[in-house]
Amino acid sequence: MRRGLMAWDANEVPVATIEARQARLREAMRAQGLEAFIAYTNIARPAAVSWMSGFTPYWSEGVYCLPLEGTPVFATALSKRVAEWISTVMAVGEVAPTPQPGVVIGKLLAEKGISKAGILELDELPAKQATALMQNAPGVNFTDAADLFHPIRTQVDDAERALVRHAAKLAAECMNKVDVEAASAQDLIAPCELHARLSGAEEIFIAVAPDLSKSATLKRTDTAGELADTFALRISLAYKAGWVRLTRSFARTAMGATDFDRLQQMFDDFQPQAGQSIDGMLRQIFADNGATLKSWQLEQPRGGYPLAIVAGSEVSNTWTAGAPSVMGVDVETASGHWLAARPLL
Amino acid sequence: MAASGASAMQKARTEALREAMAREKVDVLVLMGNNWHADYLRYGTDFGIQEGQGIALIRADGTTTLLLDDAAECDRARGETDSCEVVHAPKLVAEARDRIARSGNRSLAASPMHLLPYGLLKLEEEDLRIADGAPVIEKLLMTKMEVELDCIRKASVLADEGYVIFRDAACPGRKDYELIAEIECFFRSKGVAENFMIIGVGGQEVRGMAPPGGKVLKQGDLVTTELSPCVNGYYAQLCRTLVVGQASETQKKAFSVYQEALEEGIRTVRAGVTAADVAKAENDVFRKYDLGKYTTSEYTRVRGHGMGLFLDQKPQILEDVDIPLVDGMTVIVHPNTYHPDAGYMVLGDALIVRPDGHECLSTLSRELFSVTAN
Repeated sequence: MRRGLMAWDANEVPVATIEARQARLREAMRAQGLEAFIAYTNIARPAAVSWMSGFTPYWSEGVYCLPLEGTPVFATALSKRVAEWISTVMAVGEVAPTPQPGVVIGKLLAEKGISKAGILELDELPAKQATALMQNAPGVNFTDAADLFHPIRTQVDDAERALVRHAAKLAAECMNKVDVEAASAQDLIAPCELHARLSGAEEIFIAVAPDLSKSATLKRTDTAGELADTFALRISLAYKAGWVRLTRSFARTAMGATDFDRLQQMFDDFQPQAGQSIDGMLRQIFADNGATLKSWQLEQPRGGYPLAIVAGSEVSNTWTAGAPSVMGVDVETASGHWLAARPLL
Repeated sequence: MAASGASAMQKARTEALREAMAREKVDVLVLMGNNWHADYLRYGTDFGIQEGQGIALIRADGTTTLLLDDAAECDRARGETDSCEVVHAPKLVAEARDRIARSGNRSLAASPMHLLPYGLLKLEEEDLRIADGAPVIEKLLMTKMEVELDCIRKASVLADEGYVIFRDAACPGRKDYELIAEIECFFRSKGVAENFMIIGVGGQEVRGMAPPGGKVLKQGDLVTTELSPCVNGYYAQLCRTLVVGQASETQKKAFSVYQEALEEGIRTVRAGVTAADVAKAENDVFRKYDLGKYTTSEYTRVRGHGMGLFLDQKPQILEDVDIPLVDGMTVIVHPNTYHPDAGYMVLGDALIVRPDGHECLSTLSRELFSVTAN
């Protein structure tokens, strides 16, 4: 749940940047004959609306409409008083507080005489919002616009690059707060959480694999419990809608730490390239060091999700090189699992 | 700490759910959730979702499938729940639709309906209609078993302890998000996986609470917060107000209205009264001081609400909500609103509804706290 700093800073995300993103999207809409683009947001799927508006919608749901011409409208189920606050942190667009976002956007489409609108991830749109949209805009032909959105979204601008870099910096600082002698996951997590939030992180989820000799499963603070001699920490951190993940494995013994450092160095040096066999290259570099790659994945923003797997050992490759990405691996060593993940900047 | 006893509790919840499904003649109950609305999924599967979204298929034959679109969450679920099949479903809605269609069951219900994805409506093309599952599960979410109440009691203790951390962190020159950092650190150190909190900082101009935006605390500011830690997924909430420096006479006088309203609201809580009765008791105090307009939706959302696996569950404490309070419900009574002389103020305590009254969980003083420079 959002509970860290939520603010819009025009120096970090200028209005011109948001307008340029919207202009690119509108160009693609025009090419496909769409007169409006609609995206739903909730706590799990805020990324598309963040990218379009500069605001990170938080726990309540909402529907954002970018018309081909005119002011975008963000209809949110939050109260009028909270909407006033949103207006201060949303770079571009009007806020419409309403218990029925789909009704408001449907009526807007009808008023504008729009005949064709694209919805991001139509099947995942809550039925209540979808039916309200369709009932209040009976003359509109709705289509799924995920394929239209994706190539536009993966064009990265300087503002996004800077936010992701800052998020990566904060995550690395948090990782440096790790006390390798900590007895429990709670002792490990708390200082990292404190540093992230004092530094202005919007959100941080920390998970711990408490005993890498037995399992690579990452658990939360309520279930991870005591730490064994080898453990891993995964930090998922957002700074103003820029999400990164960073995973590190730790060993309490000097020999284990040396082995882990060597694997970390190899992993940090690896740079995937478009057109390469990432799977083959990763397998080779770990095999050369006496370890076995068990699985890997690349994550990127996808649709409404801030990070979703777009390539990996069990997923066909739809990775877009150059866009913000996170690469993660699970490697088998003589002492058990070794986990790592890092942003590709 | 938080996971202990979860398995026994899940068995009890599962049994209650199956009985309700049988009573409502539901073959498959479709439960949906995310990190905000995690309650339905948690009740049906005992999994507390953090990232991505999930859909659980609870079948009358006693089997459950949990579909999750996030691979890491799927891995965690396999380690944390032993009562259901866990499936990674990157195409969550399509996977759920296929599984429901293949099962051939005709009596389907879903909850919460506002999260039902449009893609599942396509089941109608196969003559499968999904009814509202609220009659199956909502009463179970509202009225808790003793094992559930124990979690809320523990969460309430943590809320009280957490507020002390918050209060001690508040001093002139600190930023609002720094206070929240201190409290989240405390909660993580105690094994609290989730906490909901918002904050207000300032004076007469402040009309509500929101996530922290970087406001710097200064002398004379009111600092309002509601914080809501959870234990085993069960939330307890606490609302308090503090003044940076010494409270003014105006602030003290204004706050006394909230103290009286809270006491009147709490005095009303017992099994058999309605949510409306509690709201009216709170609001009548404001009306007595000619502040009735500040109990309307222009200035405040609710006068309290239920708490449980969701921090803001039914019944909402409002004068037009006629849901009766019953033994085992957990509510927070909070007459939070704007005061024209002082700004937005909050005060609220968590309660368990009992036949002859209530059990008050919050033990923290109901005073207008005052903090001075460290």
